[in-house]
Amino acid sequence: MPVKMAIADYGVGNLHSIRKALEICGAKPYIVEDLNDLLEAECIIFPGVGAFDKTMEKLQPLKKALIGKLEDATPCLGICIGAQILFNGSEEGKTRGLGFYQGEVVRLKADRVPHMGWNRVDGEDSILEGIESPYFYFAHSYHGDPSEDIVIGSTDYFGQVPTLFLKGNTYGTQFHPEKSSASGLKFLKNFVRFAEAWV
Amino acid sequence: MLTKRIIPCLDVKNGITVKGVRFVDLQDVGDPPEMAAAYERQGADEIVFLDISASAEGRKTLMNVVERTAQRLFVPLTVGGGIRTKEDMRTALNAGADKVSVNTIAVQRPDVISEGAEDFGRQCVVVAIDAKREGKSWKVYTHGGRKRTDIDAIEWAARAEGLGAGEILLTSMDADGTKDGYDIPLTARVADAVKIPVIASGGCGKAQHIYEVLTQTGAEAALAASIFHYGELTVQQVKDYLIDKGVLVR
Repeated sequence: MPVKMAIADYGVGNLHSIRKALEICGAKPYIVEDLNDLLEAECIIFPGVGAFDKTMEKLQPLKKALIGKLEDATPCLGICIGAQILFNGSEEGKTRGLGFYQGEVVRLKADRVPHMGWNRVDGEDSILEGIESPYFYFAHSYHGDPSEDIVIGSTDYFGQVPTLFLKGNTYGTQFHPEKSSASGLKFLKNFVRFAEAWV
Repeated sequence: MLTKRIIPCLDVKNGITVKGVRFVDLQDVGDPPEMAAAYERQGADEIVFLDISASAEGRKTLMNVVERTAQRLFVPLTVGGGIRTKEDMRTALNAGADKVSVNTIAVQRPDVISEGAEDFGRQCVVVAIDAKREGKSWKVYTHGGRKRTDIDAIEWAARAEGLGAGEILLTSMDADGTKDGYDIPLTARVADAVKIPVIASGGCGKAQHIYEVLTQTGAEAALAASIFHYGELTVQQVKDYLIDKGVLVR
């Protein structure tokens, strides 16, 4: 049975690509407009669209329940802003994050911001297995800076930037796998296989 | 290390790709979703759709095209042309665009930049600038290059950055359509004036031009249309050329 994956719809942005990509990778994605439905999901996707405060305003009422669900080993993938909201808070916004990942989201210290384009992710985790050319698409001005040991991949952009996280069964990517062509699709295939083992 | 980007641009009119020479003389060249997917297979790092339909109906057609494109495109898609409000931005993003570009409206009502950045994130908001040389400086043109303003292009780029633009798409009207190469002085000046990425556009006739603009200026990306549409070169051929010259590409 393909894993049903609930894609959180914060009301803004392109969800076609992530849905289609997960479908191609063998999952059964669906878009969740009533965010309460996330609590029933067997796998949660926090997509990489929108801005920090606007996204957190929508998720705030569910904060405790969502953390419980992630602690309960529900497979989850947060992409870009969808990964940033997993942290305690962000320099970008005033609203607090979900606080599942310990640490803050900080502004990139680089000569050119946003970090926009294709860059390499170096890491050892099985989620990167079989990816021939580990270049992924980035578009961000902030990044998670965890205070716990959850970094499993990093990227060279004016110094090493943590860009791939794993805590429990919750993966967070600073890049956009759904926008990263063949490398991204392979990454998502690996995530789907990972999720299958848990649901 | 961040790689340099190669971006095919599709000028779309009433749902069909066209490419103008010096902003006039349009010819039909193909179906946008099909072309976008083909470019991704060739190694394109992003795709830009520029809507040049004059009517509201033409624009509605474009949103259908964007939706069809997003179903099969797994690289970023920027949509520009005819975007006037935050709601237009939302429509384009919900249809399947990853970024929207604003040009005329940003000049007329610069706040649209900050409004878009606040709601959708600044990485979504591209400010497109059409610039034309006058003596030692460049003036901003609006309305698809038909209307001159008194605004200095370099100053405008810096101001757009301050308002929340995530990227500058810079077209040299002097170079556009000539195939004689990008406008190096203009691109260099703008890229030095801002910290956000600059996409160079206008004038590409061969791979060497892309090499020149990516190495002689601070531009992060090069946009081209006709060399790709007419099959003169594939994106991969351009990348092979750049790799050979030591430029980092994906």
